[in-house]
Amino acid sequence: MPSLHELQSAFADTLLNPDTTHTLSYVAQDKISRDQRLFIYRNHVFSSLTSALQGAYPVIERLVGAAFFRSVARGYIRLHPSTSGDLEQYGDSFAEYLSGLKQVDEHTYLPDVARLEWAYHRVYFAADVPALSLEMLAKVDPDQQHQLRFGLHPASQLLRSSYPSLRIWQVNQKTYSGDQTVDLSIGGNHLLVLRPQLDPQIHDITHDEFTFLESLACNKNIADSLDLVADVNPEFDLTSCLQKFISNKTLVIFSLENQGDQTRAYRKGDRTWPQSKRQKT
Amino acid sequence: MTTESIERPPAQIPAQAGIGLRAEHYKEVIGSQPPIGWLEVHSENYFGQGGKPLHYLEQARQLYPISLHGVGLSIGSTDPLNKAHLDHLNRLIHRIEPGLVSEHLSWSSVDGKYFNDLLPLPYTEEALKHFSTRVHQVQDILQQQILIENPSSYLSYSHSTIAEWDFMNAIVENTACGILLDVNNVYVSAVNHGFDARHYLRAITADAVQEIHLAGFTIDIIGGQDILIDTHNKPICDEVWALYQVAIERLGAIPSLIEWDSDLPPLDFLVEEASRAQTIMDECHALVA
Repeated sequence: MPSLHELQSAFADTLLNPDTTHTLSYVAQDKISRDQRLFIYRNHVFSSLTSALQGAYPVIERLVGAAFFRSVARGYIRLHPSTSGDLEQYGDSFAEYLSGLKQVDEHTYLPDVARLEWAYHRVYFAADVPALSLEMLAKVDPDQQHQLRFGLHPASQLLRSSYPSLRIWQVNQKTYSGDQTVDLSIGGNHLLVLRPQLDPQIHDITHDEFTFLESLACNKNIADSLDLVADVNPEFDLTSCLQKFISNKTLVIFSLENQGDQTRAYRKGDRTWPQSKRQKT
Repeated sequence: MTTESIERPPAQIPAQAGIGLRAEHYKEVIGSQPPIGWLEVHSENYFGQGGKPLHYLEQARQLYPISLHGVGLSIGSTDPLNKAHLDHLNRLIHRIEPGLVSEHLSWSSVDGKYFNDLLPLPYTEEALKHFSTRVHQVQDILQQQILIENPSSYLSYSHSTIAEWDFMNAIVENTACGILLDVNNVYVSAVNHGFDARHYLRAITADAVQEIHLAGFTIDIIGGQDILIDTHNKPICDEVWALYQVAIERLGAIPSLIEWDSDLPPLDFLVEEASRAQTIMDECHALVA
């Protein structure tokens, strides 16, 4: 008689690997054999994990076709079993799995489309937070503004791709009825997936905006983040960039490295944001 | 938080019929407020930190008492209890103030791998001791009683020594948990394993039953033999309605859920099924009175 742990380990092996050598002789059988009974469970495990992947990756399924998707899912489930009792968590490494698949070699854009779908999936369930307090921000001493650090919305994700992943995503939405061909030569995109309210949005942002937001997301202050962008584009308009991403709720919190005791109102339209160090010299 | 709590109906699940709330019906349930006593949701569908699921669940909670039904805690597993899963559940309990919290007599993970399915336990003294210890731990961590639901199963173990109903009763004895009696699961397992469903209903500890589930199943034919699969995608069959009547005659009115998880019918259909369950409870009550 197996211990409970031995039974569960052996049962688990037979669920994931039909070729396993475990006999599970302690599973009762009659007209319906042991293997047929285990198959009911195996079938259910694979079908519910496959459904979870279909839920998170509808565009990938559309691109590769339902039958091929199921066979890819089967391989993925065996190699990367679920590690959570919450099915919404399942499939985080699917893009990496796709990038290693020989069968999709020619469709090198698939992993980036999968990354976009996973970002959308994560953002859908992420935390809700209120917009940044402009009133509080206005109280920051202009002399300290270059030290400001901004936090991105928990329901936001930055993605870059050398393929037009957003265009591919858009033409593969159920509601899309136009021309489905995508010219891959139009090149890559920088994307911000954001859920300010209930529905996720995907914003096609510029390379500079992406660099700037990515730097803020790494907890770098305004001055250092601006430097990164201004090195490449001295014309970068910091004020309008901040306004855009504060008003669309990408930037939702701010903090100061050294909280000064004097505060002076920041007037909207004043170009009192710090200039990059290079511009100053 | 405080204002929300004041506006909410009481947490307690009334001894009436309720329905499962699924995403496809969020807006319609909140908009039309059908005449049902309560709603049940799968806890794990609300483990995210925000977004639509919690938004609509909060709205539904302003209108109905809610029961949280878990499918992923894997209480019967020999792995350590999943603390992260329990943390999520605890947060959800504080946020929603459910009237009942339930899980299954099953396991769904081992060695860190999850199968996201309700896998059968052997009914042995070892498993009984293990499962009871785990229910204790869960109730300690959640600081509340949970209900344990009898599963549907498609296989049994030759070294099982305890009947499922006795196993359920012993868990209640050991842990003071409650029972979620799934009448459809009793029927499905009775057909699949050849025991008497009515005997099961007579043998279960009546005082412990705090909720009933009713659902539909699918029939597969394997090896020339019918096997019933608990798919929650069909109307409740006549045999299960008859068993429900038997259960209610013995137990009195009990919160009774119409459970439907895939191939969802229109909301009206679920409400009609709930009203059929309500009628059975009302008629039994009238006979007693």
